[in-house]
Amino acid sequence: MLNDEKQYHIQLKKGDVGKYVLLPGDPGRCEPIAALFDNPVHVASNREYNTYTGYLDGVKVSVTSTGIGCPSAAIALEELVRVGADTFIRVGTSGHIQPDSVSGELAIISAAIRDEGTSKHYMPIEFPAIADIDLVMAIKRAAEKNKARYRIGITQSKDSFYGQHEPERMGVAADLLNRWKAWEIGGAICSEMEASALFVIASMLRVRAGGVMMVHAKEPMPPLDILLNTSIDALREIIAFDKENGRAVN
Amino acid sequence: MSQLQHHIHLKEGDVGEFVLMPGDPGRAEVIARHFDNAVHVATNREYVTYTGFLDGVKVSVTSTGIGCPSSAIAMEELVRVGAKTFIRVGTSGSIQPGTQSGELAIVTGAIRDEGTSLHYMPADFPAVAHYEVVQALRKAATAKGLAHRVGISQSKDSFYGEVEPEHSGVTQRLLDRWKAWEIGGAICSEMEASTLFIVASMLRVRAGGIMVMHGEGELGSLEPLIETAVLAVRELIKGDQNA
Repeated sequence: MLNDEKQYHIQLKKGDVGKYVLLPGDPGRCEPIAALFDNPVHVASNREYNTYTGYLDGVKVSVTSTGIGCPSAAIALEELVRVGADTFIRVGTSGHIQPDSVSGELAIISAAIRDEGTSKHYMPIEFPAIADIDLVMAIKRAAEKNKARYRIGITQSKDSFYGQHEPERMGVAADLLNRWKAWEIGGAICSEMEASALFVIASMLRVRAGGVMMVHAKEPMPPLDILLNTSIDALREIIAFDKENGRAVN
Repeated sequence: MSQLQHHIHLKEGDVGEFVLMPGDPGRAEVIARHFDNAVHVATNREYVTYTGFLDGVKVSVTSTGIGCPSSAIAMEELVRVGAKTFIRVGTSGSIQPGTQSGELAIVTGAIRDEGTSLHYMPADFPAVAHYEVVQALRKAATAKGLAHRVGISQSKDSFYGEVEPEHSGVTQRLLDRWKAWEIGGAICSEMEASTLFIVASMLRVRAGGIMVMHGEGELGSLEPLIETAVLAVRELIKGDQNA
C-alpha cells in the first residue's frame, strides 16, 4: 500500500494528521478532545476510527479513536504512522488493580502486561511492551500542572472486559483470578485493553507511544476534564521538549 | 530481617540504600574506588560487597555473578538488609547494526529470555526499569558527553547461545528470535536485567541498568561506564533529597 494513498481503515492520507496524535478508545470522545485544540476540523470517520486535526502552540496535532481492543488499535497505529504520525498518547479510562486506588486518579503508563493476542503477531511474548520515557515524563509534568493525583506504573492490557469484571462465570475462572492476583503482586496499577500492542508496535516502527488513564475504583467516576486537559498539556510538553532538542515538530 | 543473609553474607547496616550491581566479582573493588571511604564488607560465593559514601550518603556495590538465578538471590537478600535502589552495571553485546564498541546502553526494559523471572511472574508481565533510574542515567551520560542509546535489553540465559548459535541444538530458534529482537528495536544483550526488573517491581524498589556495548571496533576502558553509573547514583541521591 502506497503511503500517500488513503489508508484502508482509518481513511486518512498524508497531510491529514499531525505528528502528534491522541488515541482514545471511544469514537465519541474525539470531539470533546478536539474541542481543546485550536481550529479543529473533522477529517474522517470510518468504522470505529474517528479523526480530528487542529493545532496546539502552532503545531499540527490530531486525535484518532482506536475502538476497543488491541486488534483495532494496532491497525490505527500502523496506518497513522504510514501517513506521518510519530508520537502517540493513549488516553482513556481504566480499571484499578492496587487496593488503595481511588476513582479519578490518573495512571501514567510505564509499560504494559501483554495479556492479549494481537502483540503476539508482532513479537515473541518475552519482549517487553514499554512506553517511551520522554512521553512518560511529559505526561508526568502535565499531570502535575493540572494538580492531578497520579501514579506511574504498569498496566494490564487485556482482551476481555467481562473476563476482568465477571471472571467467576468464565470457563477459565481460576486462571483469570490467579493472574489478576499476580498483577497486583507485581505492582501493576491499571487495567485497560490497548496499551501493550501500541507499545510493542511503536517499538518496531521506531515511533513513540505512551498512555494516561483515569482509573475507576470503588467510588463513582468524576468528570473526565482533568484527564483530557492532562493529555492536551502532555502534547504541549512533548512538543516543547522536541523543539528544545531540535526535533522537527511539523 | 537483621540476620546475616544466607548467600550474600550481609546484615542490616552493612549496605546503603543505593547499590551498584556488576556481574563480575572482580569489578566490585574497581567500582568501590569511586566511593569515599570504601570498605570491603563481605565475600561469599560470587557475591562481593563494598560499602562507602557518595555526597555523604552510604552506597554499596555488590556483584551478582553471571545470570538471573544468582542475580535474583542478590537482589532479594539486599532488599532484606535495607537496599532500595539498584543500578546494574556491566558489559553487553549489541543488537542494532552500526553500534560502536564503547557506546552505552541505558536500559528501559528487558526481554525475558530467561528462566528465573518465570518463577516470579507470568511471561506477559513487562520487565521495566524504574523511570527515575533511567532519567538519572541519561542525565549522567549526557553530562559526561558520552555516546549512549536508551532502549530495551535482551536478558538471556546462554552466553554461547548468543555468540555461537550455530553450535546449539536450537540454532534456528535462536537465530529467528535474535532477528525479532533487532526488528523490535532492542539495543543490547546481557544476562541479568529482566529478572532484576521483575523482582524490583514485586518488592517495590527501583532498578535500572547501564551497559557498555561490544559493537564495531575494540572495547576500551570501562571507566566511562563506571563514572556514569556513579554520577547517576549522585543524581538519584539529589533527586530523593529534593522530593
